[in-house]
Amino acid sequence: MTAIRKSDVLVIGGGIQGSSTAYHLAQRGISVVVLEKDTVSRHASGVNAGGIRLLGRNIAEVELSKAAMHMWHQLDDELDADTGFRARSLINVAADEADLNTLRSREQQMHGLGYFHEVMLDQQELRERLPHVADHCVGGVVSEQDGYAIPFHSTQAFRIAAERKGALFCEGEQVQQIRKVGDSWLVSTATQQYQAEHLVNCAGAWADLISVMIGDNVPMSYSAPMLMITARMPHFATPVVGAVSRPLSFKQFENGTVLIGGGAKGFADRANNTTRLDYSLLASGAHNAIEFFPIMKTACINRMWSGLEAYMPDNLPVIGKSVRSENAYHAFAFSAHGFQLGPVIGQVMTDLISEGSSRFDLDPFKINRYERKVL
Amino acid sequence: MADNLTAPSFNNSYDIAIIGAGPAGMSAAITATKAGARVVVLDDKPRSGGQIYRNVDASPLANSAVLGEDYLKGKQITAAFKRSAAEHICGVNVWHVGNNGEVLFSLEGETQRLTARQIIVATGAMERPFPIPGWHLPGVMSAGSAQVMLKSDGLVSDGAVFAGTGPLLYLIVAQYLRLGVKVKALVDTTPKTNYVRSMSEIAGALSASAMLIKGLGLMNEIRKSGTQVYRFADNLQVMGSDTAAGVSFCVSGNSHEIVSDHVFLHQGVIPNLNMTRALGVQHHWCEQQLCWKPTTNSWGQSSQSFVSVAGDSSGIVGADSAAAMGRICALGQLVSLGLMSEQQAVTEAAEDQRFMARQQRFRRFIDCLYRPIDQHRKPTDENTVVCRCEERTVKDLKQGFAQGGRDPNQLKSQTRCGMGPCQGRMCGHTVSELLADWRNEPVADVGYYRLRTPMRLVTLQELSRFTDVAPAVTPSIIHSTKSSSSGKGSSLEEKPQ
Repeated sequence: MTAIRKSDVLVIGGGIQGSSTAYHLAQRGISVVVLEKDTVSRHASGVNAGGIRLLGRNIAEVELSKAAMHMWHQLDDELDADTGFRARSLINVAADEADLNTLRSREQQMHGLGYFHEVMLDQQELRERLPHVADHCVGGVVSEQDGYAIPFHSTQAFRIAAERKGALFCEGEQVQQIRKVGDSWLVSTATQQYQAEHLVNCAGAWADLISVMIGDNVPMSYSAPMLMITARMPHFATPVVGAVSRPLSFKQFENGTVLIGGGAKGFADRANNTTRLDYSLLASGAHNAIEFFPIMKTACINRMWSGLEAYMPDNLPVIGKSVRSENAYHAFAFSAHGFQLGPVIGQVMTDLISEGSSRFDLDPFKINRYERKVL
Repeated sequence: MADNLTAPSFNNSYDIAIIGAGPAGMSAAITATKAGARVVVLDDKPRSGGQIYRNVDASPLANSAVLGEDYLKGKQITAAFKRSAAEHICGVNVWHVGNNGEVLFSLEGETQRLTARQIIVATGAMERPFPIPGWHLPGVMSAGSAQVMLKSDGLVSDGAVFAGTGPLLYLIVAQYLRLGVKVKALVDTTPKTNYVRSMSEIAGALSASAMLIKGLGLMNEIRKSGTQVYRFADNLQVMGSDTAAGVSFCVSGNSHEIVSDHVFLHQGVIPNLNMTRALGVQHHWCEQQLCWKPTTNSWGQSSQSFVSVAGDSSGIVGADSAAAMGRICALGQLVSLGLMSEQQAVTEAAEDQRFMARQQRFRRFIDCLYRPIDQHRKPTDENTVVCRCEERTVKDLKQGFAQGGRDPNQLKSQTRCGMGPCQGRMCGHTVSELLADWRNEPVADVGYYRLRTPMRLVTLQELSRFTDVAPAVTPSIIHSTKSSSSGKGSSLEEKPQ
């Protein structure tokens, strides 16, 4: 029988949210243990497209995303690491007049709320920034601070910085049972018992299982967003590129490889930690990439993959306190756009734990927001 | 059926799809079609024969006899294959084999799709990486590619140095010499200790003495030609900064240098793993052959019951055993398809199984004698390149390891080692072995890269035109094979080699 391992906070899930939470807690001198069932950044946090995107955020997320963006621009210094972050700007390309109308009404809405970070581009400006864009593209919108980072390196950077400040990461530790006894959370894995006053659920595609153990039901689903990357190509695009109304997203890295995403989903097999790809959807992604950037015709696809990611029906994450249990917190189901939020989420969780509240409006992210709705 | 099939006239569903038209794939096709199975064979080369019998019935050489009788006897099997009812789709790159029996392949820039109830992977071997200082320089090639040039185009390189170990190395040197090409030197890195150790396996080798005599004959032929031969060489390095300028090495502590613009390296072959790995079948580390192998039962069946693996892609067995394994795999699948009784399959497989058992003893001897030395598999020099595509050195990997890259996949994410266009082929084994040393754990516990489709590079344009993919397998198929592998442990013993 091994001795129980005690800490102030127990974080379940060693992705970017869990690692960032551990970092911020440790920095404030709060003892923290992270339980990861596989290895840190093994799933979505290590294999996502690495987009650092403020552009086009849901209104509910804009404040969080802006705060996170500010942090990304200083993150390498703060963590004393190389996350691979590059501010390259992000442009969503408008393919036709309907796209431009979408952008115009978005602009009006954003300006009304006092947000001015999304700037519309006319056809001429678009072409100056993306000389290889197809002739039919009529304009777009840019967010200058946006860019990309290397997901695996970023998550590891949080982990290593957290460890330097005393956080403990336990890999290969799958949670089997969670009990609340008095003021303590008791968590057991196959080989070890853990005890903590506070419990944070950052379990990504497995977070609904943890949530139920804590006592919160949640209509979460999970899927396998797919990516592919080309062999090296001559440099042709500096900004990260998306499209207003098409599933297209790509970025060219400094080494010339081009990462193509767009949100198409493969098939998730969560029980076996694996995914299967849907080649017809990847094919339409390839089609879109060529349609917007004819130079990509000659690109050679080197690797294709997908990771396991959690989604909510409204594609907004769950962030905040448990509604049914004291001293339990959730940060999961980022619905394929949580990587950029990672730095700030750790801060939010730490504020909730140490101060009982956050400076952000977390109402839209409550875990019980669907309870009275008919889905 | 026809080697020169150009239009995609194939059907799109088959009993058995065989990937690879070498001795294993061809003999599997012959056996399976005889019993009435609908068989398709896909291969990337324009003609059947595989690496060993490449172009055997269309040699560019005036006198292909210089390539040896082991090569020429491939004519029999390619002829029998052509007479068989198997459909042969040649010159195609298979880039996806799904665990639902779906095969996607590139034919003249277009992706085509077919499905099969059973799959035989017969993708053969590749040369073992030779990660020594300078092996990545222009001017350095594998000895196998020298042979490919010889067999397909009749091209040779004058005044080259051949270095390494293994029967293929001596064979290629002999083939060069027979064509009157000057070979500057043969640097044999087989250590003395291997000769001593392999003596314990000599009883097995004597039972295949004909093959052994052939090997000794090659060595004599090389010596008689006056080619400089250095034996028991170690500390091999390729000299030069931008291109190869020659090799340096030690013999009994004395250093030697040989100047040459062309260096051919070879230290044996290992299974071509990318297809079986991408299929997700179980693999194990084989200490005798120092390589990963798909785990199969005595019928060549993998941990996914409808996938069998034959020939060198299952572990290095050589051409004759590959042909035997191809027949055995086909018999096993005929039983699964309900086209043959188990009793009949057992009877028909008996002779091939006896043959393979005999060969296995010889193989133990060969593996022991030509076991490449640690120094040439697990580089210690910090500047030696391990991953050629991403130019990652031992130093880079050590750094990644220190930062938490403990298994090949973490190390890949950490350092990009294995992310390039060779899809890990040239660094996978080195990384597994290096990590095992650094962790002081068995290679088996370290594992290998998680590989995925595409198994070959495919252009974005080709993919963009492809839309015809039916819904794929239900996960239950994966589960049932997993449970059968644990439930029937005895049927999944390591296959004979």
